[in-house]
Amino acid sequence: MSPDPPGEPAGPARTEPLYVAARVSEPDIADFASESVIIFDVDGAIQYWNPASEALYGWPAITMVGRGIGHLSTRSENEREHWRLLLQEGTWHGVVSRRTPSGIHIVVDIRQYVRFAQDGTPRDVIEYGRQSLSDNGIDGAGWHIPDRLMAAGWEVDVSGAGALIAEIARLRKEANADEKLLHARHVELVEAARIVNVNERTMRLVGGNRGRDLMIGQPVAGFWPLESRKVAGELFADAMLGQTEGATHRRQMPSDGILRDPLVTVWRADEPGRLYVAVNGTVDDDRSYLYLRASEARYRKLVHHMPVALWQVDASHMGRIYNDIRATGVTDFCAYLDEHPELVDLAAATVRVTDVNRAAVQMFGGGSALDLMRPVGYLFTVARHSLHNVMIGRFKGQESHHEVTKIETFDGRVRDVRMSVTYPKQVAELDVTIFSFEDVTEHMSIEAELRQLQADFTHAARISMLGELTTSIAHEVNQPLAAIVTNAETSLRWLSRVDLNVEKVRELTSRIAASGRRASDIVQRIRGMAAKRQPERVALDLNDVAQESLLFVRHEIESRSIRVTTDFARNLPTAVGDRIQLQQVIVNLLVNGVQAVEERGEGDRRIVMRTSEKDGQLALTLRDTGPGIPGEDIERIFQGFFTTKDSGMGIGLAICQSIVAEHGGSISASNHPDGGAEFRFVIPAAPA
Amino acid sequence: MPRIPLVAIVDDDESIREALCDLLMVAGLACCTFDGAPAFLADQGARGVDCLITDVRMPGMSGLDLLERVRAGGSNLPVIVLTSVLDQSARARALELGAQAWLTKPVADDALLDQLKAAIGSEDWPGEPGQ
Repeated sequence: MSPDPPGEPAGPARTEPLYVAARVSEPDIADFASESVIIFDVDGAIQYWNPASEALYGWPAITMVGRGIGHLSTRSENEREHWRLLLQEGTWHGVVSRRTPSGIHIVVDIRQYVRFAQDGTPRDVIEYGRQSLSDNGIDGAGWHIPDRLMAAGWEVDVSGAGALIAEIARLRKEANADEKLLHARHVELVEAARIVNVNERTMRLVGGNRGRDLMIGQPVAGFWPLESRKVAGELFADAMLGQTEGATHRRQMPSDGILRDPLVTVWRADEPGRLYVAVNGTVDDDRSYLYLRASEARYRKLVHHMPVALWQVDASHMGRIYNDIRATGVTDFCAYLDEHPELVDLAAATVRVTDVNRAAVQMFGGGSALDLMRPVGYLFTVARHSLHNVMIGRFKGQESHHEVTKIETFDGRVRDVRMSVTYPKQVAELDVTIFSFEDVTEHMSIEAELRQLQADFTHAARISMLGELTTSIAHEVNQPLAAIVTNAETSLRWLSRVDLNVEKVRELTSRIAASGRRASDIVQRIRGMAAKRQPERVALDLNDVAQESLLFVRHEIESRSIRVTTDFARNLPTAVGDRIQLQQVIVNLLVNGVQAVEERGEGDRRIVMRTSEKDGQLALTLRDTGPGIPGEDIERIFQGFFTTKDSGMGIGLAICQSIVAEHGGSISASNHPDGGAEFRFVIPAAPA
Repeated sequence: MPRIPLVAIVDDDESIREALCDLLMVAGLACCTFDGAPAFLADQGARGVDCLITDVRMPGMSGLDLLERVRAGGSNLPVIVLTSVLDQSARARALELGAQAWLTKPVADDALLDQLKAAIGSEDWPGEPGQ
């Protein structure tokens, strides 16, 4: 058995937990011990190193697990002999001198016990240690290990940054080096440095619940607070360029929102191109670490089990880009993004998801959270414009952004989702954006069915209304056709005469063309009304719509000797709506009015149509000189299947009401003080 | 030289009035047009026409009411009803009131001219000009 220090830890692929829990329950218990507890294998390689050991020796567990005991000792020959005796005798206690990262040696009281396997061979060695009282040790140190003593440990690989380090070395030697350039190079070094491993505390402090696997191989800069990246880079460079083997480089840093006054220690690992980093400091929060940890655990559990799918996203670099864009005087970011679609591409490719909950994994059909922890682009494969909108919200400094959009899951399903984005409040705070997605596909399909049903009904009502107007329509179309036939026959008569009047024939032919166009216009108008189509929202002039509606019933009105007076408000603001549906409402009201006037028989046969605008509301009023609406019917007149007519289904006014409601307006019926019924609908004007 | 017969046309549709007027002109007849029954009744000159062609459905007063008014005034003026209306009872009433003919739009030129010839009488009918 060789007590030689065992080999160095494996390379970046190493993923086994650092607190190697050979006997699972023991390290858990020892985690909270105030005494240093170290477990060695029989070769003297450290298997477990509890937080109290970190506190006592200053070496984070990350740098110790896997190392030989010789790393702690300056006289390795003595250690070797000591180890042999220990394994023979099974127990040892005494005082030893141990090396700390700062190069100082401390005197420690230790007790070592060999534990044996069932076959009687040594299984491992467990060591308890405390600073010797003779060495200024503090007796009865606190009952628990204060959090500030537990270092956040990192193992970092800078082997890929050789050129950068060389440049830093050169710049540092220059008498009048460009400070800005040097600064930038230091920050770049933190960006180039890759994480080989981190300990529990680092993971907890900066890793979110991404877990170690997602941190390994990533740039250190992705997790290192922005404010102290430069200092970290300087320390990395110091450690790499330092002449003295085993020297440590440390700096007190300003509070970074994570730790208060953290002390960062960096030293070269034995493996070339590797550094160890230990960060000591209390969590920047007044509450005790245990309380905080419990609270954080509760929070994580809550978020994890939340039925809403949640994404945590780090868009901090985009925030800085927006600041730069804003500084150039851009105010219309929407137009800016249209001109620079590459910025949306950049966000899709570089804004990383840093955490997701279970509902998110389920929604996308991922195997695990890891499948979703990538740049956000996959959230916007179907609706890229939504990412555009999310970016605009951030640029404008909104607190949140909401919209209904579509996503495509990993197994290719497209779902309707209601997306909510909560932006970070201040740039100074941790830059965390939260996305929540709620699957509303079912909801949307029911809504779509209802909309379809309503469209079908509206269409049916239109057809029924056209049916009532058949005679008028036939007459309307027949007039130009009759004119065409007569003009054509007159032309033929001229053409067969000897005194051919070419001028007359030309006139007749052009009249034929005009009448043909007129007939075609009428057919177009009827076809528009008869067609089954999805309603659309366009800007329109209510006066125009009213005028067009009159054309449908013109003949109906004229042949019944009804006088129509129109009083159209001038400079009416635009409305937004479906032209055909609004025509349907007005034609319906006109037909009702004509029928009411007919009912009354003799007397003043008149319909008055008026448009007006007040407080951003456009109103159309239609008054007839019919008998008015019986009092008991006024309440029910807009209900479906209410009718006082012998023919007709009684859906006309009900459909009018639903159309007007769809347009964000309302419709009402009343009796005019001077007699007759008055219908009035109001729809909002388009926002200016 | 025989006098040129004068035909009155009452229709609310201008394109119809123009078309009919041109047809009568090419047939060698003179015509005057009215955009409604009240206009015809108001015009003193219209009393001397040889024939009246009227539409039925018109604003103000219908063609049938016009026919009734003409007959009520004791006139035997030949009246040709030219309409899109297919209503049989209206047709029966017109014929009852002594309408010369009930023709539906669009009308064939020969059918209309034959009825006009019958109304005016072949002795006054102009020879086809330009033949």
